[in-house]
Amino acid sequence: MWRVIKSVLAALIGVQKNQQREEDFSSNKPLAFVVAAVTVTLIFVLVLIGIALLAAQG
Amino acid sequence: MRALRYWSTYIAVLPFLVPTASYAWNMPIGVTDVSGDIYRLHMTIFWICVAIGLLVFGAMFYSLFRYRHAKGAKAAHFHENTLVEVLWTAIPVLILVAMAVPATATLKQMYDPSDADLDVMITGQQWRWRYEYMGENVAFTSSLSTPRVQISGEEKRGETYLLDVDNPLVLPVNRKVRFLMTSDDVIHSWWVPELAVKQDAVPGFINENWVRINEPGIYRGQCAELCGMDHGFMPVVVHAIEEKAFDEWIAERKAAAEKEISGIDRDWKLAELMERGQATYEAICVSCHQPGGKGSPPAFPALAGNEQLIADQAWHLDRVINGVSGAAMPAFRDTLNPVEIAAVVTYTRNAWGNDTGDVVQPSVVAEQVDQ
Amino acid sequence: MAKLPPKSMPLHSTPAAADGQLNTHTALPKGVMRWVLTTNHKEIGTLYLLFSLSMFFVGGVFALVVRAELFQPGLQLIDPEFFNQMTTMHGLIMVFAAVMPAFTGLANWMIPLQIGAPDMALPRLNNFSFWLLPVAFTLLLSTLLMPGGGPNFGWTFYAPLSTTYAPASTTFFILAIHIAGISSILGAINIIATILNMRAPGMRLMDMPLFVWTWLITAFLLIAVMPVLAGVITMMLMDINFGTNFFNAAGGGDPVLFQHLFWFFGHPEVYIMILPAFGIVSAIIPTFARKPLFGYTSMVYATAAIALLSFLVWAHHMFLVGLPLVAELFFMYSTMLIAVPTGVKVFNWVTTLFRGSISFEPPMLFALAFVVLFTIGGFSGIMLAIAPADFQYHDTYFVVAHFHYVLVPGAIFAIMAGAYYWLPKWTGHYPNERLAQWHFWLSVIGVNLTFFPMHFAGLAGMPRRIPDYALQFADFNMVSSIGAFFFGTSQLLFVIVVVICVRGGKKAPAKAWEGAEDLEWSVPSPAPLHTFERPPKFERSTS
Repeated sequence: MWRVIKSVLAALIGVQKNQQREEDFSSNKPLAFVVAAVTVTLIFVLVLIGIALLAAQG
Repeated sequence: MRALRYWSTYIAVLPFLVPTASYAWNMPIGVTDVSGDIYRLHMTIFWICVAIGLLVFGAMFYSLFRYRHAKGAKAAHFHENTLVEVLWTAIPVLILVAMAVPATATLKQMYDPSDADLDVMITGQQWRWRYEYMGENVAFTSSLSTPRVQISGEEKRGETYLLDVDNPLVLPVNRKVRFLMTSDDVIHSWWVPELAVKQDAVPGFINENWVRINEPGIYRGQCAELCGMDHGFMPVVVHAIEEKAFDEWIAERKAAAEKEISGIDRDWKLAELMERGQATYEAICVSCHQPGGKGSPPAFPALAGNEQLIADQAWHLDRVINGVSGAAMPAFRDTLNPVEIAAVVTYTRNAWGNDTGDVVQPSVVAEQVDQ
Repeated sequence: MAKLPPKSMPLHSTPAAADGQLNTHTALPKGVMRWVLTTNHKEIGTLYLLFSLSMFFVGGVFALVVRAELFQPGLQLIDPEFFNQMTTMHGLIMVFAAVMPAFTGLANWMIPLQIGAPDMALPRLNNFSFWLLPVAFTLLLSTLLMPGGGPNFGWTFYAPLSTTYAPASTTFFILAIHIAGISSILGAINIIATILNMRAPGMRLMDMPLFVWTWLITAFLLIAVMPVLAGVITMMLMDINFGTNFFNAAGGGDPVLFQHLFWFFGHPEVYIMILPAFGIVSAIIPTFARKPLFGYTSMVYATAAIALLSFLVWAHHMFLVGLPLVAELFFMYSTMLIAVPTGVKVFNWVTTLFRGSISFEPPMLFALAFVVLFTIGGFSGIMLAIAPADFQYHDTYFVVAHFHYVLVPGAIFAIMAGAYYWLPKWTGHYPNERLAQWHFWLSVIGVNLTFFPMHFAGLAGMPRRIPDYALQFADFNMVSSIGAFFFGTSQLLFVIVVVICVRGGKKAPAKAWEGAEDLEWSVPSPAPLHTFERPPKFERSTS
């Protein structure tokens, strides 16, 4: 699972090793990536909102 | 800290001190603390972009020159390097985070209109501004005063072409002025570059911002949101004057306003109504109904020789006071005072050969407006 | 009508199907009906491209009317009302009728060829998607002739200027956009179905050319946001005709709601207009640098990141409407972040060039100009992202400069690069190199003359969408107007190059460009009407 999250995070910043990508794409469980991606996106948005709230208050 | 600010501005400005004609090439530094901060943010991000551009384009043009096929260059075969890619992703992120910090600080300042010394309500209308000094009972409209013959090119254009108004917004320096912005019709936007104040005027909503002007002067701006036909013809002019002069000015205007209101009760002669009416027409009505009352049918009817207007004073008066729903004619009951309405209706009933001989008294208008 | 593909060429052939001839047509219609009824991806691609080219000139003429009026201060040629119609129609036509259909045309032609498919997944839907466009834009253009005139509220059509205060033709404008929107959505569905289902055996997603990848992602963006546009224009329709108050404060609504909805569509829309361009440039640069694209994987991921982030930035078009501070900060941060994956792509292209073996054929010239000039547009974009600074930039010519740099030497140059690149495949001839070089250099000069001064005009204080301006902006405007006429005229050269290329020219082999690698270069030039009727044997390259 941790490998999946690492790959999704790599996708977020847009940098990935070819070999890692090959392994990901031959995975039997694409659903894991989708779930991870949705979760990471949600966390990303929440973190940004949190930073904005913090910045507005400080 | 101030010294750092001063010097960083000076250095940032340096390249732009190349003397050119009377026009500017760059954003003004402006006359407020906020405008200076914005200018510095602008120049900082500009120089960062220049630096990145030089690096990237430098590498690119170097490659284009050095690795030409015509010169027999043989292609290498690398196509991935994770470390390089992580670095050139991380470094821009760090640069942007560094920019975000001062940007956030400035934005927070801009969003804090508290403890203002003066409140001014700014209302956008098609196609002029209305200014109201809250609590002082002083209000007026501010319309383009550049003569139409300059726009059509029949007369030479002055230096402040398209940036002149009949009644500028007068503000004191060194006092925090809070603006409340709204609109009577469509979305407009009030902007004065040298004050770094720009905000949308949204109908039905009130937007807040503020300014503290450091230097007296005349500052000109324009409407910055497409609002219809004369979007380009509703400028903003601010006269910033010393605090004492401002206090005197506002007291004068208050007295004049009170006199105006008492003027409602007396009887006005035709000649004074015509004079006042013509001035009002040329400031307010001419943009749609055109010089000479010619209009621009079908959207903007002609007033000269308009049979229904000539025949029916009550109908005419009602349209000016209450507007025409479903058409572009706004209600002037809140924009013009009864004297102005009476004058402009009297004027349009008698000018351009209409010659009805009718005289409309401000007291009559006041009664109708109060209904 | 153009005679693409030429009559002399065989109707059926594939390199891998020499034994069998698949003939599924009974009798092919001739003449006009052939083009009305075609379900062939190449012919439909041609239709899209010709439609978009003619609309490019229509939108261009509107721009020239605007620039002619702005040549000098004062009102000389048209009245402000008509000026507003011209600026509005210029934007609408260029966005919806020129750029988007051009990319769709390239998609239609090239995606099946690049993945080894015989056609698109839904050929009849494909035909329908195309023919919706002439209907939509005839309707839109006809509003100029209606009483009250055509749309005059900017291509962004903010309420209530576009509802309560709009001309009578606005309902037709809304209908036209609905029709065009349906065309885009159906086209996007077709593209996704084709890419996901019809790749040649052995071609995994990560083997696809980047043009196919960028279109796959663009298609998802289209499906996500075109319905939002449909929603907001329907709400407009209701406000105008059925007494609702969605955007009318007096009735309890909110004009700013319009802007949120519009820009939720509008921001992904501009990425829809640029991602395929990234794909084209990512094909051309490796070809003419004779070197594989640097960081193919990262390019795919960066495209996906851009697409995702594009949903989180919309209110950077609304920094001045009176958003709460937290919202303003959120959108400033998200907008600054989206610059990163975009910048990374530029670095990837430059690194592809580094230590390559570079030649400068016309497609490469346009692709290189894209990299430089799009990046300049990107820089002004980063500046605009700084929200406090945007208070001075917003609704000025600085913004106009930014988006024209990313759209004209950005998207349009990429389209032309793609056209020059693939014309040998479409017609069997190389485009005339001399004329193409003239077209290139005149375009580069024209585009910079027109749009670079706009940065200064905006910084100096010139607002957008004004038909007349204060004297300090005069010199910038004069240069821009001269540039505009220069650039507009030089595009006629492109038409000449295309016409000559269709009719003849230096013969092009199947692999027209030495460094070209993808599947489309394995079929003959010109490509036969039917290709890959049997799936090709796809062999993974060493990437």
